Amino acid sequence: MALSRRLLPLFLRRGAPAVRALSTAAAPAAAVASEEEEESITVKGVRISGRPLYMDMQATTPVDPRVLDAMLPFYLSRYGNPHSRTHLYGWESDAAVEAARASVASLVGADPREIFFTSGATECNNIAVKGVMRFYRDRRRHVITTQTEHKCVLDSCRYLQQEGFEVTYLPVRSDGLVDLAQLEDAIRPDTGLVSVMAVNNEIGVVQPLEEIGRICKEKGVPFHTDAAQALGKIPIDVNRMGIGLMSLSGHKIYGPKGVGALYLRRRPRIRVEPQMSGGGQERGIRSGTVPTPLVVGFGAACEIAAQEMDYDHRRVSALQQRLLDGIRAQVDEVVINGSMEHRYPGNLNLSFAYVEGESLLMGLKEVAVSSGSACTSASLEPSYVLRALGVEEDMAHTSIRFGIGRFTTEEEVDRAIELTVRQVKKLRDMSPLYEMAKAGIDLKSIEWSQH
Amino acid sequence: MAAVAAPTRAEVLSLFRSLLRTAKQFSDYNIREYTRRRAADAFRDNRALADPPAAAAAFAEGKKQLEVARRQAVVYSLYAPKAKSVMELKVQ
Repeated sequence: MALSRRLLPLFLRRGAPAVRALSTAAAPAAAVASEEEEESITVKGVRISGRPLYMDMQATTPVDPRVLDAMLPFYLSRYGNPHSRTHLYGWESDAAVEAARASVASLVGADPREIFFTSGATECNNIAVKGVMRFYRDRRRHVITTQTEHKCVLDSCRYLQQEGFEVTYLPVRSDGLVDLAQLEDAIRPDTGLVSVMAVNNEIGVVQPLEEIGRICKEKGVPFHTDAAQALGKIPIDVNRMGIGLMSLSGHKIYGPKGVGALYLRRRPRIRVEPQMSGGGQERGIRSGTVPTPLVVGFGAACEIAAQEMDYDHRRVSALQQRLLDGIRAQVDEVVINGSMEHRYPGNLNLSFAYVEGESLLMGLKEVAVSSGSACTSASLEPSYVLRALGVEEDMAHTSIRFGIGRFTTEEEVDRAIELTVRQVKKLRDMSPLYEMAKAGIDLKSIEWSQH
Repeated sequence: MAAVAAPTRAEVLSLFRSLLRTAKQFSDYNIREYTRRRAADAFRDNRALADPPAAAAAFAEGKKQLEVARRQAVVYSLYAPKAKSVMELKVQ
């Protein structure tokens, strides 16, 4: 008896994790083994007091409640396939899809017949880059893009290279912008496509679309732009900017994930070879049933963006200034990556000298930020975008991208400043490099001994 | 919407108060703050709206937004995460 009493606490202690593991297994809906207790959350072994404040708007944005409100009916009673031609269910879905198409088109100054719904900007970029080149493969063998494009454009270009096409990856200036003279020189008689993204996902710089469009028009080359990060945030007009093809995404503008749209110019007509074979939906450009609820949500998000662009822009600009001033007032040697003048203010990419990026991010558990793009944050390599800007490797390693959006509050910005400053100061206090730099030693002159 | 009389001051104030009350019901910190802020800013911006059809249109838009907010406040409450935003917790 005495023995068992002594054993009991031991048992209990060992039993506790097993019970916890069981409880998460019993709730398969919780995809991540996260535990939400009243006081704290534990995910992947990290314990935090509450849900972090969200400042990763370039990765994705929260769904606007007005968007969800528009979508829900199509998840409930209005479940028809928009391609069903024989009954009401199909007709009402079709009408909703066409209304959404008009909303998307109107936000970019296009004709609804030029909008093709896809699964997202990655698919659009694939259709645009590979599709155009494959369609015109007999006469056009050359593609121009930039070194700071999104991975899916670069990978599509690599794929084309394997098929025997030639690709020019234009370098960018140290402010992240493409050199227009260099672009013009790179265009050849057999250039089939110029692909330059509108707003960079990592550093937020806005490329001179209008000028690029003009050059492409003069040379008779289709201009494709990946506008996933630009839609609803900066004004886009496909005619004024001479855009031939454009990739758009739903979840970057407070819409649902899993939907996007490709803009494809009708006059002069630009044709692409489809990637998907099937039922010929979306005029054969993108076969597969159009997901009505997602498309309706995307349409609603575009409509709201059109109404709210000025209001959001004013607010986001003010918050960006607040964030930058707040950090700069308390921490020195902070560098903004990318042009400040030609920039979407909802993206502030900062490098903190003498601080290790991963340690900084891990210390900022209560702020959901990223060091760059979500696609590449799994690797420890510094961002290729920052490298293309000529940012030194040590500075590229310490970058943090703060994303500000429609739902960000002043208090969140203030908290982000406070936590970032605290963490940077803490890491610098531990850093011998910072101490040496403060003592006036030029770190580049040091010859480190090899191991 | 043609020839609709402008809403009275009492009607406008009542709509504003309803929007603020509904905003408070959102369980999500960011949505709650946004709804409150957006409503307040919209009413402030439209305060000088003298043209009756324009005032009536703005009022109708506000009522539509109130309906959306009422529905969504319920939806958000149904799926509210147990843990709150760090912004709602006391500063350590």
